[in-house]
Amino acid sequence: MLKKVYFILLTVILIASCVETPGEGTSMLTDNFDRKEMLEFWAEEIILPAFSNYQDYLTSLSDQATVFYSDPSLNSLESFRSSWLEAYLAWQEVSMFEIGKAEEIGLRNFTNIYPADPELIFDNINSGNNFNLDLPSNFPAQGFPALDYLLFGSADTDLNIIDVINTPETMEYVVTLIDRLNTLTSEVQSDWELSFKDEFINNSGSSGTASTDKMVNDFLFYYEKFLRAAKVGMPAGVFSGNIETNLVEGKYSGVYSKQLLQRGFSSVQDFFNGVSFDGQATGNSLSQYLTDIHISNNTDFDFSESINVQWDVATESISDLQDNFQNQIIEDNNKMLTVYDELNKAVRILKVDMMQALNIQVDFVDADGD
Amino acid sequence: MSKTYQFLLLSLILLLITSCEGPDTPINIENPVSYEFVRNGESTVSFGGQTDRISMGQELIEAMLNFETTESDLLEMYSNQTASGDDANPYSSAALNESTKSVKSKVAASEDFFSSNTVESAKIKADIESWIIAQVIEVFPNQNQLAAPGIAGQIADGSSARYVNGQGLEYNQAVNKSLIGALMVDQMLNNYLGTAVLDAADNIINNDEEMVEDGQAYTSMEHKWDEAFGYIFGGEGNDYSNPLTTLGGDSFLNKYLLRVEDDADFTGIASDIFEALKFGRAAIVAKDYDVRDAQADIIKDKVSEVIAIRAVYYLQQGKIALENNDFGAGFHDLSEGFGFIYSLRFLRDTNNNSAYFGEEEVSSFIDQLTNGNGFWDVDSATLDQMSEAIAAKFEFTVAQAAN
Repeated sequence: MLKKVYFILLTVILIASCVETPGEGTSMLTDNFDRKEMLEFWAEEIILPAFSNYQDYLTSLSDQATVFYSDPSLNSLESFRSSWLEAYLAWQEVSMFEIGKAEEIGLRNFTNIYPADPELIFDNINSGNNFNLDLPSNFPAQGFPALDYLLFGSADTDLNIIDVINTPETMEYVVTLIDRLNTLTSEVQSDWELSFKDEFINNSGSSGTASTDKMVNDFLFYYEKFLRAAKVGMPAGVFSGNIETNLVEGKYSGVYSKQLLQRGFSSVQDFFNGVSFDGQATGNSLSQYLTDIHISNNTDFDFSESINVQWDVATESISDLQDNFQNQIIEDNNKMLTVYDELNKAVRILKVDMMQALNIQVDFVDADGD
Repeated sequence: MSKTYQFLLLSLILLLITSCEGPDTPINIENPVSYEFVRNGESTVSFGGQTDRISMGQELIEAMLNFETTESDLLEMYSNQTASGDDANPYSSAALNESTKSVKSKVAASEDFFSSNTVESAKIKADIESWIIAQVIEVFPNQNQLAAPGIAGQIADGSSARYVNGQGLEYNQAVNKSLIGALMVDQMLNNYLGTAVLDAADNIINNDEEMVEDGQAYTSMEHKWDEAFGYIFGGEGNDYSNPLTTLGGDSFLNKYLLRVEDDADFTGIASDIFEALKFGRAAIVAKDYDVRDAQADIIKDKVSEVIAIRAVYYLQQGKIALENNDFGAGFHDLSEGFGFIYSLRFLRDTNNNSAYFGEEEVSSFIDQLTNGNGFWDVDSATLDQMSEAIAAKFEFTVAQAAN
């Protein structure tokens, strides 16, 4: 008897040490989802309309700059500022699409790197046109954050701001910044229209370089780094341990930081759920894809549900915040930290569960910060 | 009971017995909880020279990114003397300016590897010096240029600007990471932890009789061991008595120990190194030199592994970034990788009591990275081959090191 027990025990030990665990990231799931149809919907119903909308707002920003400079007044400054805000909000709807030409030229770096650097901005203004906005060191001297500084923060009162930005050199710089946003965006937009759209849709396979894999990675990267971390986590001091009012998006205008976050976040949710840009239609996107995998494999969870449930909680926590995040983190940073936590809970589901279900490899890593 | 059963049963019993046996710890030496050693109520722990050199290295690598700095400023920070050999005061810290120590004098200067190999030692000192000079000559003038193949300048890594030479190399990273090998690792593994230094002159007799150095509380042997300790746990930002709580306190070996520790495949390595340093020091106090040397071997193995893992890590990270056409991020990874590869030369293979990588082997790696337009041209296959060649000498895989 004892002999038998030993033998069984031994066998168990030997077997246990020989069993291979399945390799990570290799999905055994059946996948009959039509990726091409999804890519088509993304391109035609979300990405292109979002860029075209953004481009329209940039055009009116240019127009309002012209109006302002032909007749600088408190009224024309006000209109100038609102069209800046509208364009900035429209940017939040395209920022996650850093793919194709946008990725190649680094559109986000030239559009929305904050905090702006006022000293650098004035160095450029006073350089006698001797500056190069293509340089990475000039990221913080251009785009919406630089305009935020010039239009809202360059002096203590609105009248004084008009004096500051109405000098010939500053005017030229402001116009240059707005022109540049227009030029870069139309470059991206026309590339989509002329060639990239077909390339994007037809590259419908499943590999590290396929459109779905790349777009999902870009989407995730945006969510993690630019929404969760930059808009919420960094100002709230999640990484440094100290609140950082300087790192709030739109810090000079102040009152729009919540709106900017909300617009970015709702765009993320709409993309995930396949809501067309005009809000009128629903098509195949990640949510439908996850449900499809869940049903055809009879898995335990439909991750699209868990993600949406978590995002509802996050949306709720965002609605508790003040419009001005600088005030929010000074007065009650716990609410900001709560938002971060709720946004962060979705990262795990997206990055691990979703990626495994869709058999997509994460292609970015956390930089080690040096 | 058949023969087979008997055999299996015996194997099982043996398996159980061996797995129950504890580590080979002589009962008479206690491994203290913290790195605290006293004699007559006075601490015997001392590694001020190491702290100073780490701080000097820190100032040097920071100054390499300050575009106002001149070539002679940087060279003085490297050698802590003027070009004509006079006393220099290049540092922001007054204490460092008063110090007579320098970074350069201890680069590739270990007893075991370089005391009879001064030709290579001189070459390594000069390599690092040449990168310092090139930063001023090639990169500083192109501060406001976009980098391109063959052209030094700026390149975006995420939202930050990196400054590279015409081959995509950041000289500041090359210097920073090469010093980890050429200064910290070489001094630690091939100098202070070797018997040539620990047992030099009358060190054993003096330690046996607790003859302390003039005016000090420590014996020579104790001090040598502490100097090894100082290069990994003795930076300004470290709590040396419980250094696992302050990992990442400097920009050199300590920081990359933390990085490897943070990789789930290698968690525990920081504690292994600390325990061995502590236990080896306790063995010196207990006058048990076999135990001391066994600990020294553990430290040599583990510290060598840290450098090799980071070399492979950066090659693989750089490869992924370049495959995604993210040149800025890729160049940054390969710049760090360049320094870690340069550092491979100083790793110590305790099985053969020799270097893991010879001079030519490391040169060939560096050549492959800097061929033609360097990082602009290097392909994935080359980076993979190099990674495999490095990992093959150790017990980790490329995949384990890569993330």
